[in-house]
Amino acid sequence: MRIRKDWSSWDPGMSFKTLPGAMGIYEIADEQKNCIYISYAGGASPYGLRGELYAIFGMPAGADKWNWSHPHPESIPAEVKQRAKYYRYEVTHNYYSRWIEDLTRFSEDYETLPELNKLATAPRAPHLGRYHWKSEGI
Amino acid sequence: MDMQRTEEQQLIIDTVRKFIREEIRPLEADLDPDAYELNPEDDERLRAMVKEMGMYQMGLPVEYGGPGVDIVTRTMLAEEMSQHRAGLYAPAYGAFGSSPPEHLYKGTDEQKEKYLYPVIRGEKHAFFGLSEPSGGSDPARSIRTRGVRDGDSWVINGGKLWNSGADTADFGIVYVRTDPTKGRQGITAFLVDTDTPGFRVQRLVQVLRSHYTTELSFTDMRIPHSQILGEEGGGFALANDTLAHNRIPYASACLGIAVYAQELAIEWAKQRVTFGEPLANRQAIQWMLVDNEIDMRTSRWIALDAAARAQRGESFRFESSMAKLLCTEAAGRVIDRCMQIHGGLGMAKDMPFERWYREVRIRRIGEGTSEIQRVVMARDLLNVRSGS
Ligand SMILES: Cc1cc2nc3c(=O)[nH]c(=O)nc-3n(C[C@H](O)[C@H](O)[C@H](O)COP(=O)(O)OP(=O)(O)OC[C@H]3O[C@@H](n4cnc5c(N)ncnc54)[C@H](O)[C@@H]3O)c2cc1C
Repeated sequence: MRIRKDWSSWDPGMSFKTLPGAMGIYEIADEQKNCIYISYAGGASPYGLRGELYAIFGMPAGADKWNWSHPHPESIPAEVKQRAKYYRYEVTHNYYSRWIEDLTRFSEDYETLPELNKLATAPRAPHLGRYHWKSEGI
Repeated sequence: MDMQRTEEQQLIIDTVRKFIREEIRPLEADLDPDAYELNPEDDERLRAMVKEMGMYQMGLPVEYGGPGVDIVTRTMLAEEMSQHRAGLYAPAYGAFGSSPPEHLYKGTDEQKEKYLYPVIRGEKHAFFGLSEPSGGSDPARSIRTRGVRDGDSWVINGGKLWNSGADTADFGIVYVRTDPTKGRQGITAFLVDTDTPGFRVQRLVQVLRSHYTTELSFTDMRIPHSQILGEEGGGFALANDTLAHNRIPYASACLGIAVYAQELAIEWAKQRVTFGEPLANRQAIQWMLVDNEIDMRTSRWIALDAAARAQRGESFRFESSMAKLLCTEAAGRVIDRCMQIHGGLGMAKDMPFERWYREVRIRRIGEGTSEIQRVVMARDLLNVRSGS
């Protein structure tokens, strides 16, 4: 199953409470709304989806007063941070297998991984399976 | 009955134990809590190490180039290899290699060339296709996937559910109803390549564990007659035979995570102080630890007894069902108590318990549910089995 949500554009002015601190998967799109990166906030992610998305889109002005920020922002490839314009996410305890599922769907449809998942600096994708069909939006 | 380990068994067990503690557990500190694969460099390095130690694919029979370690030792090893966070479903992250599905040893020479040897060499992977949406407990009645003979091949239509690894497999052993008038004798096992036209992974089915299963559909899938594994109509007997064997190491792997959980709980109980005293001094906690030990030791005994019977060539169906039932349920209770002893920490992703708790729950369903194990045992009892 895909992440069944529209793309959201990043609003630096939004309250951080809008984003969940929970585990889950997320997709990042470029200016043309092409999905360029699929990743997850796992059990070891310090601030869940919120922490991952802030690490990608950048902390807003005044955030230095916040008592949290991602301790390993370098774990996200710089290219993702440079090109990220839109995001969508799904809160799920099954982040690991959903991540694989989302990557599998993508690679089945486009016969390749999302562009920035192919970077050597991106989290290594596990061995992916095949559906033998196009997912056609499912 | 002598359950004393032989010197050789002790040596192998000590080596595996050391490997799990010194090579596998430290790597888990840097992996996601739900990960079930190592990064490729570590994977390669550890496999090479195991091969060097002469311990790769220990269950592989001698005639196929393996060391042919017996089922009692394999049962003991299954308990050792699972003693880490991912250990229940990914023991040692596969560093010891896996043996092919036992069904494949029953194939023709041609089938062995095409499937068995590539699996042994790690070039091909298989899935097991028995369960269907219509039910997994009673496959003899519930299999609806239908095969119709057409000249030299069979046309197969239908689907399967819960097939672990089918999306990454190269082929599967798929059970098909080839004669609807014959009940269990009307089921045939086919070797099906996953790139056969008409074979589809319909969806990935997310479950409690960090790996999913699949739902498959077959549409006019044409499979040559030569792809039948065993006899036409002999699929059910083939499935039953191998399931009974697999149940024993499957059961004892559950004990491995219980052993590790108990170790952690004892350590924690000694160091955690509440109301001025370590938890270990509280009778409520002591009893939980003792109950854990009773659960583990009794079920280990039953699993080893089943393995010993299988090794001696005696009937072991009853005992393997009992082992599967006891070990899976006992391990669930042990993990649950260890979580309780750890309080909030027992629920956190920082510790392995929550993963074990989810995964061990599945073990009461997979490879025949607890109820079906009781059904198997009851049948045996009521038929007044000899030799017990
Ligand atoms: C994670 C996972 C992985 C799996 N992997 C595979 C795989 O790779 N290949 C494969 O073929 N299958 C696989 N299975 C399927 C598994 O073997 C079946 O789920 C199992 O056999 C039960 O079948 P069912 O789900 O259809 O339940 P049902 O058969 O519908 O049973 C439902 C409930 O009724 C109980 N019940 C049934 N009959 C009786 C009875 N006579 N008396 C009392 N109680 C009864 C059962 O114990 C169960 O509790 C997997 C399942 C899971 C969850």
